[in-house]
Amino acid sequence: MIERDAEVFDLGYQRYTGPREGRNRARLALFQNGVRTVLGIGRGGRAKILPALLFFGVMSPAVVFVIILSFIGEAGADFIPGPADYYGIVGVVLIIFSAIMAPELLGPDRRDNVLPLYLVRPLTSTDYILARFLAFFFIALVLVYAGQIVLQAGLILTAESQIDYIKDNWSDVLRILFVGVLVALFISVAPMSVAAFTTRRAYAAAFVIAIWLISTITVNSLTIEECTTFSSSQSDGTLSRAEDCDYLIGDLAPYVGLLDAGSVTDHITVMVFDTEPEGPAMMAVAELDDAWPIGAYLAFTGIPALLLWNRYRRIRL
Amino acid sequence: MAALLEARELTKHYGRTVALDGVSFDVGEGVTALLGPNGAGKSTAMKLFLGLIQPTSGTASILGEEPYRSVEVRARIGYMPEHEALPKSMTASEFLMHMAQMSGIPPGQARTRAADVLRHVGLDEERYRPMGEYSTGMKQRVKLAQAIVHDPVLALLDEPTAGLDPDGRLEMLRLISRTANAFGISVMISTHLMGDVERTADSVIVLESGTLAQQGAVAKLTEETETLLIEVADHLEEFSAALAERGVQAKSNGPMLVVEQAREDDYDIIRDAAVDTGARLRRLSPERRDLTDIFRSRPE
Repeated sequence: MIERDAEVFDLGYQRYTGPREGRNRARLALFQNGVRTVLGIGRGGRAKILPALLFFGVMSPAVVFVIILSFIGEAGADFIPGPADYYGIVGVVLIIFSAIMAPELLGPDRRDNVLPLYLVRPLTSTDYILARFLAFFFIALVLVYAGQIVLQAGLILTAESQIDYIKDNWSDVLRILFVGVLVALFISVAPMSVAAFTTRRAYAAAFVIAIWLISTITVNSLTIEECTTFSSSQSDGTLSRAEDCDYLIGDLAPYVGLLDAGSVTDHITVMVFDTEPEGPAMMAVAELDDAWPIGAYLAFTGIPALLLWNRYRRIRL
Repeated sequence: MAALLEARELTKHYGRTVALDGVSFDVGEGVTALLGPNGAGKSTAMKLFLGLIQPTSGTASILGEEPYRSVEVRARIGYMPEHEALPKSMTASEFLMHMAQMSGIPPGQARTRAADVLRHVGLDEERYRPMGEYSTGMKQRVKLAQAIVHDPVLALLDEPTAGLDPDGRLEMLRLISRTANAFGISVMISTHLMGDVERTADSVIVLESGTLAQQGAVAKLTEETETLLIEVADHLEEFSAALAERGVQAKSNGPMLVVEQAREDDYDIIRDAAVDTGARLRRLSPERRDLTDIFRSRPE
């Protein structure tokens, strides 16, 4: 047998004759790239540190609760926060996560001038921003659900009868899913719309966190009730005490309470899970008809969504 | 041959500024240069053909469709921007794969295309390095690669040699010629450099102040003129006088003599004058126009 040396043949340039999947492939590619960008997939270790830390921050309350449950069993379920409270507990970390990570999705495309390269491809500016938004919404949804899944798994596994627990609480699953979508939508849209107006991640993150902090502190200060206690003597000679409570800002308090960015989704959670409101702003808003907090939620998500869409629709390249 | 790209009475206003004013031209296969000084309307024309902006009036169509109305046609065109447009933290391989998918190529094929095209632009070895570490020449090659990774029918290249040193510029021009001639991808380059046009382009469209100044094949625009250029090694004065005696008026232009409106028999007269005066003839050739003349000869 004659042995021949290996040879490398340069076939030259080959024309592409395979499938072309057009606009839908472009949208999907942008969505996938968005998920990878936020999570730091395909990049160095440094790009993964921040998302990993924030993910750990969101998950840690659920993990801690499950560890407690595993030690004290079903009895712990009475004082461990339920699914309704859980969204409130991780809300702060979720807002911080969104404020820091949303600019990472939009800023580099504009800073590195990559946007024109996208928009000369089979993609409109609406496709672009929708794909980027859905990528972030997807991550937010995973984060929001992940903690709840761990918590629910802990509650089910530590129950005396898993079947009975599921039977008694199955309706919570639908509530968790529904409120989870609303929470993820809220924490995605506002930080992304802020990120659309600056290429600096620090500015965008600081702005979102500042709005959240300022509105929470201010609104909760304004909606505190001031109570006056007065006594009156009864005909039988006893003293009766009565308390007259009023808001510092009077009848406006429930409406001002709607401006607390930190409790926009909490109002909906209270409604859906039929729990008691906590904190001055939430208690004030509870006096209003349900349409008001629903309207506030729509405004807090709708207005930033319109700003975001309009920003990219009018962007000059 | 159908035009790949057509402008019909194409007009674009930015407020009161007229960037393009009723321009009409066609672009066919091969390399076409969109030539003109800064502010001539080249970038505006590019953006219109890429669908990034809409015309004020008229039409800009590419492969028979208007890219600002139909986004699907953009899957068959490529674009290399003048400015830096590469994500610094991504590798060239990852970026090209992503860009191929952004033009509609499925992931498996996109990977193959990315590797192939990077090899063709000479970045095979460097494809796994973050692009933030690339030199200007390498960045320009990645920009060209992303413009052709999806095998477009037509690639629009905006100032492709901007910022390159002489060697890098020649390499880029060679790549552009190869893209059109070996890869079969037609190219339109926007440039203000005549040299780039003369080296690469088959045809040229000259824009000036938003209007069409010239259009045609580069070979036609640089064809021979009726002016003869003569260079002799010695006896220049005697030679010039001998030509005058024979009725041929030659003007002195440095070391050369220039005969305008030359006739066929002037060649014989020049030969005879050289023999009679003993002048050693170094050069006798018709003058060719160069593209710079296109601007100089334009009426105001």
